[in-house]
Amino acid sequence: MIEIVGLTKQYGLTRALDNINLKIDKGEFISLVGPSGAGKSTLVKVLTCEEKPDSGKIFIADRDITKLKLEEMPFYRRKIGIVFQDFKLLPQKTVWENVAFALEVCEAPRQEIEDKVPKILDLVGMLKRKNNLPNELSGGERQRVSIARSMIHGPKILIADEPTGNLDPINAWEIVDLLIKINNLGTIVILTTHNKAIVDRIKKRVVVMREGKIVSDRVKGSYAI
Amino acid sequence: MNFESSYRIIKLGLTNFWRNRWLSTVATMIMALTLLVISTFAILILAVDKTTESIRSKIDISIYFNESASVEQIVQMQKIIASRPDTKEVKYVSKDEAAEDFKKQYEGKKVIDYLNPENNPLPRSLEIKANNAESLKDIASFIGQEEFKPLIENVSYKEKKKVIEKLIALTSFIKEIGWILSGVFVVISILVILNTIRLAIFARKDEIEIMRLVGAGANFIKIPFVVEGILYGVLAAFFAFLLIWLGIGLIATRTPIELGSYLGTIMMGFFNNHAFAVIGLELIIGIIIGVVCSLFSIRKHIRI
Repeated sequence: MIEIVGLTKQYGLTRALDNINLKIDKGEFISLVGPSGAGKSTLVKVLTCEEKPDSGKIFIADRDITKLKLEEMPFYRRKIGIVFQDFKLLPQKTVWENVAFALEVCEAPRQEIEDKVPKILDLVGMLKRKNNLPNELSGGERQRVSIARSMIHGPKILIADEPTGNLDPINAWEIVDLLIKINNLGTIVILTTHNKAIVDRIKKRVVVMREGKIVSDRVKGSYAI
Repeated sequence: MNFESSYRIIKLGLTNFWRNRWLSTVATMIMALTLLVISTFAILILAVDKTTESIRSKIDISIYFNESASVEQIVQMQKIIASRPDTKEVKYVSKDEAAEDFKKQYEGKKVIDYLNPENNPLPRSLEIKANNAESLKDIASFIGQEEFKPLIENVSYKEKKKVIEKLIALTSFIKEIGWILSGVFVVISILVILNTIRLAIFARKDEIEIMRLVGAGANFIKIPFVVEGILYGVLAAFFAFLLIWLGIGLIATRTPIELGSYLGTIMMGFFNNHAFAVIGLELIIGIIIGVVCSLFSIRKHIRI
């Protein structure tokens, strides 16, 4: 499903990504771990087309996304879900509106919005709080809303960049459980984290990065640097 | 783009305008000021043009002939001058016609009693009207040639020359100042509006980023800002129109006749006759400035 070939990205003298090769199959859950500055976030940015690599290719469903044109970008982004450490919710919009916004910007009709939003809010367990504003929610709840928003287009790939970074352990577990649930529904989940306890608990494929390189890739791994 | 998404996009633009109402007000005021300056000068220039035109149509050169000049010579000269491309009209005024004019001008005064067919000292003349005031000079120097000198007693252009030239200079001066000031204000307005829209965009950087990441198309991000720009233009146009309407009304009614209320009246008349054109022009200029500034400011944020 995803094939990364010889991906390199340099910022000044720093090699953020150094010849990355990685293959991810349908339905996989992959934890991308490594210390700060290992290149995890850069890899995520290249995957979401926020950054262009200096060289290398990323094939998703046999299409090289590093060659996407500007006008193709929105359509690609609707096929991937992205979750951030800082949630990136709009503070003046309610839970419902934040999730609906992702459909509105894609010109979805009202009926589709009214069908999809409650279903996805139910999936992440936030339907009861649909009328609350983000600042009335806990960190864990906000991240659930953010996950709901990223899943609204029914993406085949969900990229979660340090989603538990701002959360206490209990909330972090809940978010990881939610990601596993989403993965079990057939979505590829790419999770970047440096939380050892989380990675050890997931017991799925672990890719370790250091200084822009992949240093280990184990199918049922644990966090080891 | 369907009706529902157009509605959402326009609503987003209006919400943004309201959310940044202070910034929006400043941008609108600056733009209104610009439109005010542009339209004031446009109306002033047109009014001055009209005034000058009416004065110019009265400006002419009169050639007064000696008693010795024969009718044939005068007719010959009339033909030569009339054939010049810059001449509009050459009219022969006979002694009798001159006497009639004189009588009309001084009606009821004693002086006309001294004028009778037997004793008429008024000379025959040619009244020349030029196509435009600038060519009067050329015509005057043409008449000043040696071969005509023996026939001519006097040419009246010299007396009016200073007034004519002053008027021409004043008109072009007002036009120049109008252009320069309008230009300066357009530049200021563009800079302020660019800055305002940039600030508005900066305040919503996160929102734009989220929009991009959830797959919003470029138009969905761009158009709310364009709507905002259009709104600046439309509000500014109406505001400028209101100000100019009040302003001209005030000038026209308050100018003492001694100071020449003529121009004020002409401006008011022109404004009343062309109110739709004025507001139309203000709307067009306002909307163009607003839209161009919005598109220019947002373009950086659309990439990737």
